[in-house]
Amino acid sequence: MNPELIEKVTRLVVEKLQAQETSDVNGQKSSAAVKFWRHTSSPGTQPSRMSEEVIEAGKQDTDGLIKIKSYQNSNAFKITPTDKASHDKTESYSGKTGIDNPADPVELEALKSKTPARIGVGRAGSRPKTDTWLKFRFDHAAAVDAVYGDVNDELINRLGLFKVNTMVNEKEVYIRRPDYGRKLSEEAKKIILAKCQKGPAVQIILSDGLSSSAIEENAEDVYLSLQQSLKSLGLDMGTPFYIEKGRVAVMDEVGELLKPKVVVLLIGERPGLVSAESLSAYLCYEPRKGTIEADRMVISNIHKGGIPPAEAGAYLGTVIQKVIKYEASGVSLVKKEG
Amino acid sequence: MLKRYDAQKENIISAGIDIGTSTTKLVISRFSLMNMAGGTHMPRIEIIEKEVLYRSPIYRTPLLTASSIDIQAVERLVREEYITAGIEPADIKTGAVIITGETATKHNAEEMVHSLSDHAGDFLVATAGPDLEGIIAAKGSGAYELSKRTGKTVANIDIGGGTANAAVYRSGRLCGTCTLHIGGRLIEFSDGKIISISPPVQQILRLWGADLERGDSRNHPIIGKLTDYMAEVIGRMLRKDLHREDLPLLLGHDPNWTEEIDYIMFSGGISECLYHFENAESSPAQYDDIGKMLAQSLRNCRELAAFKWVEPDETVRATVLGAGTQTTEISGATIHAEGHELPIRNLPVYQIRFDNNLEKGLHQITEAVKKAVEIYDPQQEGQNFALYLTALPYLGFRDIQELSSVLLKSLQAKPMPEQPLVVVLESDHAKVLGQTIKVQETKQSIVCIDQIKVEHGDYIDIGHLLQTNVVPVVTKTLTFHR
Ligand code: B12
Repeated sequence: MNPELIEKVTRLVVEKLQAQETSDVNGQKSSAAVKFWRHTSSPGTQPSRMSEEVIEAGKQDTDGLIKIKSYQNSNAFKITPTDKASHDKTESYSGKTGIDNPADPVELEALKSKTPARIGVGRAGSRPKTDTWLKFRFDHAAAVDAVYGDVNDELINRLGLFKVNTMVNEKEVYIRRPDYGRKLSEEAKKIILAKCQKGPAVQIILSDGLSSSAIEENAEDVYLSLQQSLKSLGLDMGTPFYIEKGRVAVMDEVGELLKPKVVVLLIGERPGLVSAESLSAYLCYEPRKGTIEADRMVISNIHKGGIPPAEAGAYLGTVIQKVIKYEASGVSLVKKEG
Repeated sequence: MLKRYDAQKENIISAGIDIGTSTTKLVISRFSLMNMAGGTHMPRIEIIEKEVLYRSPIYRTPLLTASSIDIQAVERLVREEYITAGIEPADIKTGAVIITGETATKHNAEEMVHSLSDHAGDFLVATAGPDLEGIIAAKGSGAYELSKRTGKTVANIDIGGGTANAAVYRSGRLCGTCTLHIGGRLIEFSDGKIISISPPVQQILRLWGADLERGDSRNHPIIGKLTDYMAEVIGRMLRKDLHREDLPLLLGHDPNWTEEIDYIMFSGGISECLYHFENAESSPAQYDDIGKMLAQSLRNCRELAAFKWVEPDETVRATVLGAGTQTTEISGATIHAEGHELPIRNLPVYQIRFDNNLEKGLHQITEAVKKAVEIYDPQQEGQNFALYLTALPYLGFRDIQELSSVLLKSLQAKPMPEQPLVVVLESDHAKVLGQTIKVQETKQSIVCIDQIKVEHGDYIDIGHLLQTNVVPVVTKTLTFHR
């Protein structure tokens, strides 16, 4: 391609993006940069929320080659003051397909509605369309943000948690040294021992892990629902707390310190390009130094477009009950269950 | 391949009983349920296999008089068939009794259906209604599957003794239905003479100015014209092009699909006359009516030849197989259902649409419960109903708590607030909602299930809690909404 054309196209894209910035609906910029996908709810309940506004900078003289969609979520639903601002972020990739003249639009839509994967996006020659490509870059950026972000103290306080650290002091180290993320700092151990009830049936821990957005968006609903569920089942749950920059196996150190029957660790998953806010609940029966991975278990994909967080919390209660009943988790639980 | 840990499996037995205008038959099948999510995922229970264990012979429907079914004879027949199949009524966990065609208009049809669903199994559902009949037959004949597999628009026309029930599917999606007074038994013979002519046919004859009477010979030329005409009407119905003078044959609404039909499939007794799938000895019932002529007319009809014909998987048994194998749905696996309240039968559904707005939805609830009482329990006798909450926005835990307390408050409008609160949710929230209601009001009995698609005005049956922690649900759509 000739460099001048590339430059011209780039300028056009940038101009259109800027035009959009100013003409954004209500002039209000939405904060969230992550899309959700509902594959658990029945089809057809949620129309596509991907903003369809096409910015028509200048005339159609580009032959409609460059149409830039807004990737921000336009807030079409009224948010009531009590609602968390994040409640209305639901959208899917389906919506207008990128294929120009589909042979069977109904069937194509049906296929697209079955997966959040980027299918039916069309192409420009052998490349993705500009729109698809920008969206990909956007999702990638959201994933990076999720990894490098920090969880807001306000949330931690609201849930009545206290915060401790691992041996990691900064995110770069967190990424390069997973082993540090599995160990608590000396200070953390002291605080935990001082503040926590010893030997509870269930010890709940939260940690940002690989996605701070997962905690910010979804931990509260899982946590509150799990709390209720444990209470209904009559299981005592000690003193929950938050570990910054933790890895899954950090639960082993907590197990050593507090000797709970079961540890439940709500931790941010490595973000993907479909959701950067997915949360996992890792469980283990009596985790201790040297616990093998096979004895842990995980309920993953907890987010607004996956397993609904509140439902996950209610379900976790029954799983914990089972773990306690069989005195085993992971592969050992499966074996004991027979 | 990831290993599937802890795959919870279970088998349940389903019965299907079809009491048609001319014939009555029964099938027993076994469903295999399995957790299709890995052992450490949230469970997702699905029916992974359906196996037909037993097919009864095809019996002539026992009638006491022209307008009443011989209930005792039907019950006897069912009992004997269970014995032959080696099944106890208590083994049956789901299924449907369906009264089809003209039989549904017999004066004791309803009594029949209820007495059967009381005696034929712990959880057996009664259904009727021409739209549903067409739908069930299309599932039993293989038309639904064909549309799903090929993405084509397929019409199934199930023609029995009294009615022709059409259901149109495209890519497995129901597009519409239509029912006509067309069937084998509309004119019956005995000893070569006409012994009965059904009222819709009489109307057509009057329109034609033709006279055909009881006692006339079965070879009367007008009869051939009539069956040819019926075939043409079916063709016009498929094209949504019914003429004014065809209307005496229309039962209920006009064809209501918008798609052009690619394939047609015939099932029902008339289809048997076309394809001869059945072993003659297994079917003690013999008929003396226009069935065979009608089949011949279908074959020769130019209007119908324009469509691509596909042979069905089942002819005369399509409806009973559909009833026995295609009416059960499985709820989500994370639900809250109090076992002692189940099974619940014939529960009308009252839908509350949230339109993705929690506030708005919450505001409607109390009013909706009052309305539901007015509609379903006008005498305040305690007819319970299910609340079906749809188009819910994303629900956080605090939203669930609010929803739960509003639901509990709204129960005061019921004549018997202590009745089980039955909630059906479209989205996956049943466990947390059920649990929350229980925490807020320990004494309230609750059945809260999800991932079931029903509609306002449907009747549902909710079966026993199974070992896999799901409940079978059968929906009886009495009216067809687009
Ligand atoms: C990265 C990853 C891995 C990496 C982990 C590398 C490492 N040492 O960090 C590798 C490739 C080794 C891996 C292996 C497996 N994984 Co994996 N993995 C993931 C992934 C993509 C992200 C996990 C994450 O973000 N963790 C959070 C961070 C902070 O944790 P961490 O401390 O850095 O790393 C620990 C966890 O990742 C954990 N872990 C990773 N996978 C699994 C699986 C299970 C069952 C358990 C108990 C723990 C576990 O082990 C790491 C070391 O302690 C998830 C997808 C998802 N949506 O979550 C799947 C996922 C968790 N893995 C899964 C599976 C099935 C497995 C395997 C069983 C595959 C196999 N058949 O061998 C193994 C088991 C590993 C084990 N620890 O027991 C499934 C679990 C399904 C379920 N609910 O049971 C998931 C959800 C993928 C999926 N959608 O199917 N996995």
